[in-house]
Amino acid sequence: MLNIKNLKVKVDNKQILNGLDLDVNAGEVHAIMGPNGSGKSTLSHVLAGRDGYEVTDGQVLLDDQNLLELLPEERAHLGVFLAMQYPVELPGVNNMMFLRESINAVHRARGEEELDTVEFLKLVRKKAALLQLDEKLLKRNVNAGFSGGEKKRNEILQMAMLEPRLAILDETDSGLDIDALRIIAQGVNTLRRPDRAIILVTHYPRLLEYIEPDLVHVLVNGRIARTGDKRLALELEKKGYGWIAEENAA
Amino acid sequence: MISRQQRQQEQREWFMQVLDQDDLLIKDNTHWLRQYRKDARQAVNSLPLLNRKQEAWRYDHIEKLFENNFVQPDESTGGFTNVELYDNLLPPLTSYRLVFINGYYAVSLSNLEELHDGITVCSIGDAIHLMPEKLAYSFIYGHKLHKDKFSALNDAMFNDGVFINIDQGVHLDHPVEIVYLNTNHATSEDDRENLIQTRNIIFLHEGSSVQVIENFVSDQSENNKYFHSNVTEIYLDEGSKLEHYRFQDESRQAYHLSMLYVTQKKNSHYHSASLALGGAWARTEYKVNFEEEQSECDLYGLYAVGDEQLIDFHLDVQHRQPLCRSREQFKGILYGKGTAVFDGRILVDKHAQKSDAVLTNDNLLLVNDAEVNTKPQLEIYADDVKCSHGTTVGRLDKEHLFYLRSRGIAESEARKMLCQGFAEDIMMNIRNEELRLYMVDSLTRTLNAHNVSSGDNYGH
Ligand SMILES: Nc1ncnc2c1ncn2[C@@H]1O[C@H](COP(=O)(O)OP(=O)(O)OP(=O)(O)O)[C@@H](O)[C@H]1O
Ligand SMILES: [Mg+2]
Repeated sequence: MLNIKNLKVKVDNKQILNGLDLDVNAGEVHAIMGPNGSGKSTLSHVLAGRDGYEVTDGQVLLDDQNLLELLPEERAHLGVFLAMQYPVELPGVNNMMFLRESINAVHRARGEEELDTVEFLKLVRKKAALLQLDEKLLKRNVNAGFSGGEKKRNEILQMAMLEPRLAILDETDSGLDIDALRIIAQGVNTLRRPDRAIILVTHYPRLLEYIEPDLVHVLVNGRIARTGDKRLALELEKKGYGWIAEENAA
Repeated sequence: MISRQQRQQEQREWFMQVLDQDDLLIKDNTHWLRQYRKDARQAVNSLPLLNRKQEAWRYDHIEKLFENNFVQPDESTGGFTNVELYDNLLPPLTSYRLVFINGYYAVSLSNLEELHDGITVCSIGDAIHLMPEKLAYSFIYGHKLHKDKFSALNDAMFNDGVFINIDQGVHLDHPVEIVYLNTNHATSEDDRENLIQTRNIIFLHEGSSVQVIENFVSDQSENNKYFHSNVTEIYLDEGSKLEHYRFQDESRQAYHLSMLYVTQKKNSHYHSASLALGGAWARTEYKVNFEEEQSECDLYGLYAVGDEQLIDFHLDVQHRQPLCRSREQFKGILYGKGTAVFDGRILVDKHAQKSDAVLTNDNLLLVNDAEVNTKPQLEIYADDVKCSHGTTVGRLDKEHLFYLRSRGIAESEARKMLCQGFAEDIMMNIRNEELRLYMVDSLTRTLNAHNVSSGDNYGH
């Protein structure tokens, strides 16, 4: 479903991604781990279409569509969703109104019916309940004054509403309390379907106990340095990243 | 190139030709207002001419105004009843409504039925005949002739306006809505440049309250050029509360000048919010004077400036007594090559201990060549006070845009949502749901019509 080939990306003239290859099939969950600054968020952003990144080489296909030539909103319409590592606060933009605009924009783009007020409210309440997200947060401005954990839940709420084909969760587990982690993991698991793919960027093997990945990749110096199964995450926890970097240099 | 001397001469003649026109309000030579107007005339003549070296007029390009020969419209204009035009321009409000067409009171479009006891709401023209003592009392109460040229000119020549007098302890159930509809469809020759001067007096006695809405609207036909000068005197007696909302969206040929004088007694509260979409040139001046302790004043405003428009807000809030609180928050969206001027002065006298004042002005630039002149001035002579100010000029945040777009919202829509978000904390101070929705809508329509969605510059 997602095919990334030899992706090279520069930020401010600094090479961040260095010939990255990654293939994710429909129905799969892949975890990406790697040291701070190795390029995980850069990859996530490039997939979602944030600007400020210069792609100097390579290719990204989603179902044979060249993702890189699409606008961020067009990617969202195709089903790309990025739960951000640092969700921004939007002053004056009501969360409920935002969710409604978002879901209806996606529906419109796909030629589907828009949700009317009643349908929308029903859906948002259902999803919020599933994620045990306080409904008061829906009435506030997007992420404004939300705690770190609340912001992350709000990201997952959006994901649950939009039902993406390719979901990228950039450290959604960081900053979550133990219960929240379980709830969010459940939320993600209910989204697992044969026609969807999920990429989990994380530093913690614990998340992978709740959401079992098909593959674990280690990103070092802008490339996938190693790929394995769940056990790789545990190995990393014991040994750190140094040995992979050394192996790669050798 | 026109010399400075020529400009000054032009201005001198401009004031003279206005003063030479007929008095539209008072025909009677013995009227008590006669003397007042005579004095005002003298003041106009003796007050210094305006020029760019004066701080108050530095950014306003006022000389453009004086290039036009504005003439007072003839009386037939008051009978104008093109209801359709009028309906399209107005919010659907439940209100007591007074409509002025080119400054003339239009009875047939107004609605003052069912006002209960203790409330006076009528045109100044009617008040002169029906309740001269009451009007005179309010008029002369603490009233000195104005000390600047345009207010004095208004003193000397205003042709009508609204008189609101609320008795002690009375609360009005619905807002009083004043509509100023300026249109050259109502005059005989439609290329005429109208001079419109209106004057309002709002007098709230002890413990009373009312909401007043002013709508300045006009038809947008290309030759609808006029100068509207509006002076509003507000007296808030002890414990009274006025909510005052203003909406201004006029012909892009129009010159608009509003001058508001607010006098507050103990424990009174003046709460105001305005949306200015402007004309060619639109300036609003607030002068607030706390005459007694523990009064409160909120001035909120949003302006949206398009191509070749100038919108100016001048605030002058005087904390002359202890324990008063003021909030001044103004925001601007510059969506075209226009100019915004903001001048916010807060004076805290040395007796005014425990004053609490916050002044902010934030501007959002959607285009590159807009101009913002923002000047907060805090003059503080007391030592135990809580005062702060801040101004910003910025652009739409790229991160914010990306966030919305990554959720499937098209860039144009995302920009619009962020602009509305920017305006939101001003708009939420309009505590009249019908009006607030209408204003939010008008802002959105204006921004849409001018394609704010397609801009391509924003910052971090
Ligand atoms: N706008 C930018 N300007 C300069 N350098 C940048 C910019 N954005 C990212 N970088 C650099 O790119 C590198 C990769 O950053 P990225 O955020 O992708 O790392 P990461 O793997 O997500 O790290 P973390 O685990 O800490 O989240 C870092 O060295 C970072 O400083
Ligand atoms: Mg990161």
